[in-house]
Amino acid sequence: MPVWVILADDLEPADAREIERLVPATPSSYHRLNPLTKAVIAAVGSIGAFVAGGYIGPIVFDLVMLLLAVRAGVLGQLVRASLLLTAPIAISVVLVSVFTRAGTTVLFAIGPFDATAEGVDFAAQTLVRLFAISLSIGLFVMTTHPRAFVFDLERRGASPRVAFVALATIEAVPALVERAAVIGESQRARGLDTEGNLRARLRGLLPLIGPVIIGALTDVEERSLALESRAFSRPGRRHLLWTMRDTRWERLLRWGLMALLGAITLARISGRI
Amino acid sequence: MSWGRFDTRTIVLIPIAIAINIVLGQTVGTALKVPIYLDSIGTILVGILAGPVPGLVTGLLANLIWTYVLPAPFHSDYAAPFAIVAAEIGFVSGVLGQIGWFRGRPNTDPQRLILGAAVVIAVLLGIGYYGFLPFYTDGTFTFFGDTSVAGPFFTAVGYLIAIGIVGATVGLVTLMFVRRDLGVAYVAIGGLLCGILSAIISAPISAVVFGGVTGTGTDFLVAAFQQAGSDLQTAVFQQGLLSDPIDKTIEFFIAFVILQTLSRRFVARFPQGEKAVGLERA
Repeated sequence: MPVWVILADDLEPADAREIERLVPATPSSYHRLNPLTKAVIAAVGSIGAFVAGGYIGPIVFDLVMLLLAVRAGVLGQLVRASLLLTAPIAISVVLVSVFTRAGTTVLFAIGPFDATAEGVDFAAQTLVRLFAISLSIGLFVMTTHPRAFVFDLERRGASPRVAFVALATIEAVPALVERAAVIGESQRARGLDTEGNLRARLRGLLPLIGPVIIGALTDVEERSLALESRAFSRPGRRHLLWTMRDTRWERLLRWGLMALLGAITLARISGRI
Repeated sequence: MSWGRFDTRTIVLIPIAIAINIVLGQTVGTALKVPIYLDSIGTILVGILAGPVPGLVTGLLANLIWTYVLPAPFHSDYAAPFAIVAAEIGFVSGVLGQIGWFRGRPNTDPQRLILGAAVVIAVLLGIGYYGFLPFYTDGTFTFFGDTSVAGPFFTAVGYLIAIGIVGATVGLVTLMFVRRDLGVAYVAIGGLLCGILSAIISAPISAVVFGGVTGTGTDFLVAAFQQAGSDLQTAVFQQGLLSDPIDKTIEFFIAFVILQTLSRRFVARFPQGEKAVGLERA
């Protein structure tokens, strides 16, 4: 059994082997960190870059996240995802702030729109900040299995109901997408116009989302009966069959990172950076 | 006033509601290419059916899960900062649901319909004339009196806002009389209030974290207002005050129509269901 996973100690050997197979794979030592540690790294990276502002803080966080991604072996994947998710908003930031932000140093003009140095400066600062947010959170999502994160939170005292909501959402979203696709196709087969002008598309709104929502809501009945018959509302804690290991130095690291975030915040409030 | 309850039914409803938010926000919204967000219908439904606090929790969890738990391709890096706005939407819907603003009032007699229409017209025109117009046009354009001091941009914006508000008013009043349902008036004013509140809360977040843009079609509005001389905060707020009330009113209407469609037996089993559809008087 891998040392970074703790199985419940009252399992039969055969059951223990079975549970082990459910534990998500951890291809690198970064993956093997406790989920909360990675969550704290992501939170400090994204909030820290935002609090620090300017260039140096966010760029340092960008570089740290890229280095950690190399360690975790997800560099290419992370950079691609981050660029893809940030591209639309990045293009907007550049266009909106470069050309319409008020400033005194005009670089060049296109029609009534002046490109100002102040706008370029603002756009660049926003971009490094957005990448710090995107890389921090992307790295966390790519190296942490959602189930491991939620079970770890539950082990630390989060309500089992919150854990249920988080895990059930992961299942519910793709299921609902599938349902929406089926409903969309059947409504088109009945002649619903989803390609025409704005008016036609607005008219198509209710026939599309009405059945999606009502269908999803009617599942609530069955699901809650099924959960009730499995002692869902029983008070007390659940017995978790496996959790991720947590070590003393990881705890230290988390407190250290939180202290760093606190220090950045204080420095920012007192005007030192 | 009750805060709402988390029974098993509500707990089961929450993940489905979050999925509805994410799926409609991401797929249907973009598939139909309509310039509205449509990403809070689930939150609104939980608020109405279970109460203000379950609504608030749903909004909060929805955006946090969207960023920290949900794997690709549905994952979003940028939902978490707006969690507080989603929480507000859930809470407001819960309060409005509890005081009966989502109740259908079918076959209202014409006198009360006219009264309701008058209130809607007064509120919309009042907010439009005394709130929106001075805010968007720098106080220089008022339709009445001397218009020569107003710049062309503000004159154009002034007319656009006027057309928008008059259009919305006519549409709502027509809908009210066609359905013969006074409930339309409540939903419209509720959506307007919730939208204005959401714009107030989300504008600073959008400006400070994202430089004022969202990567969608509404960004050109921010650009236009900034070009006209507003600073970023104001430009973002001006964009939000246009998009959010429209978006929230549409989402409130969808929630309202869905509530009427669901069987009353189903609705009544949720903690706040009876109050929301007005069963205790029936």
